[in-house]
Amino acid sequence: MAKIIVVTSGKGGVGKTTSAAAISTGLALRGKKTVVIDFDVGLRNLDLIMGCERRVVYDLVNVIQGEAVLNQALIRDKRVENLFILPASQTRDKDALTQEGVAKILEKLREDFDYILCDSPAGIERGAQLAMYFADEAIVVTNPEVSSVRDSDRILGLLASKTRRAEQGEDPIKEHLLVTRYNPERVTSGDMLTLDDIREILAINLLGLIPESDAVLRASNQGVPVTHDISSDAGQAYSDTVSRLLGEDMPLRFHELQRKGLLSRMFGGGRR
Amino acid sequence: MSLNVDSAAVAFAFKGGMLPMTVMELNSADPEQIRQQLAGKLSQSPAFFQHTPVVLSVEKLDEPHLALERICAVCRDHKLLPVAVRGGSEPVRQSAWALGLGWFPPVAEARTRALESVNTSPVHEVTREDTMSETPAPAVATRLYRGTVRSGQQVSAADGDLVVIGAVNAGAEVLAAGSIHVYGALRGRALAGIHGNAEAGIYCRELAAELLSVAGNYKRSEDIDAQLRGQPAEVHFTQEQLEIKPLG
Repeated sequence: MAKIIVVTSGKGGVGKTTSAAAISTGLALRGKKTVVIDFDVGLRNLDLIMGCERRVVYDLVNVIQGEAVLNQALIRDKRVENLFILPASQTRDKDALTQEGVAKILEKLREDFDYILCDSPAGIERGAQLAMYFADEAIVVTNPEVSSVRDSDRILGLLASKTRRAEQGEDPIKEHLLVTRYNPERVTSGDMLTLDDIREILAINLLGLIPESDAVLRASNQGVPVTHDISSDAGQAYSDTVSRLLGEDMPLRFHELQRKGLLSRMFGGGRR
Repeated sequence: MSLNVDSAAVAFAFKGGMLPMTVMELNSADPEQIRQQLAGKLSQSPAFFQHTPVVLSVEKLDEPHLALERICAVCRDHKLLPVAVRGGSEPVRQSAWALGLGWFPPVAEARTRALESVNTSPVHEVTREDTMSETPAPAVATRLYRGTVRSGQQVSAADGDLVVIGAVNAGAEVLAAGSIHVYGALRGRALAGIHGNAEAGIYCRELAAELLSVAGNYKRSEDIDAQLRGQPAEVHFTQEQLEIKPLG
């Protein structure tokens, strides 16, 4: 039985899709059979980040409406074994998603996979609610800024009330905090919230911290999830995040200001 | 010129009013049954159903849980506008508030309350306290909430005090008929004494509230003394104004 994990945030542009792509890649690299589903119907991006946009034929909505079977819509990742992508439709709108349809797809995927990642759209509307509804765990992606933290707080409230587990009185969804675009310099200068501020307000378990990094921008434009760029700080941070998701104990990295040594100053090494 | 500024400053005034109101007394809690019979009534007298405000009286029903949302939807479909609920159990009252409806106590209780609210002069306050001490005070329900009250959530204690063991985050709202105690940071809105109890207070471990209100007297975030921000604080209504001071 697969674990269903929703990657959500409330606010847009904080790194949900990047994180969903990076974490699903990381899970597959550890041998877990993983599928990542784009719930952002009408504004799909996951296929671009995963670099499979040229191979999309059928999508989530086609499957829900019975125009294709699940296996026709699943795209096998070219780089990692065990990784599949279920793209969203770009031409429909979010009302094309139905709860029964989503339930059926997840039920089928559960039999074959170890992990199902649901990449939620921004907002708290239908698409986002369906992406979280069936989840067992949630990764709440938050940037170190006030509006992002507040929106994450709102999402945490919804996770505790508007999901299947909440409605049926089962164990609550396991909530993880993933802080992205963390820039220790700007935190120190007071431009951004500190990690401690965020943790105090949201009061949930910290899964990982991803530093602001050029590697992320490069990765999304090249369509290669940043987890593959293991020499980069962001790639390593996502790798740590995946380890923690699998229950390993990893020390936190990249959250403190690194004083640049003489050598790195001369050769421009270090942060990439 | 100055007159203009003054009139603009007073954006509104609260006034008491007695408005005619239709009470819809429910004998059944079944939304379908209500729908069918409403449809019949609608065809008989369409003039009545013009977004008429109604108070749903549920006093005759003996059910702790009602499909209030569906009943309201049925009413709205037939151009009746539910504005409040009268009577019913605690869950009914909670769901009325959640639906944005007012709640009135059952008729017998309401009459005594109305009398109480007329006698608001300090002299009467004393006598009322005296009589209160003679008859044993009814046990008030304190509501205990463990965990973080998150943005968009609302937690209320309709009859008594509210105790939150955790933080109340920005964008969240806590309400109580009595006092509110927050054992954590209060970053959202806190409204104590929502039925008019001016003796109610608000207590918190860290004050960062968006709004504080006791019996309808409120202070916004920017009215709060900057020195009290982030500190343990208590809030009371004294001498006709809201007083915020360090806790203890």
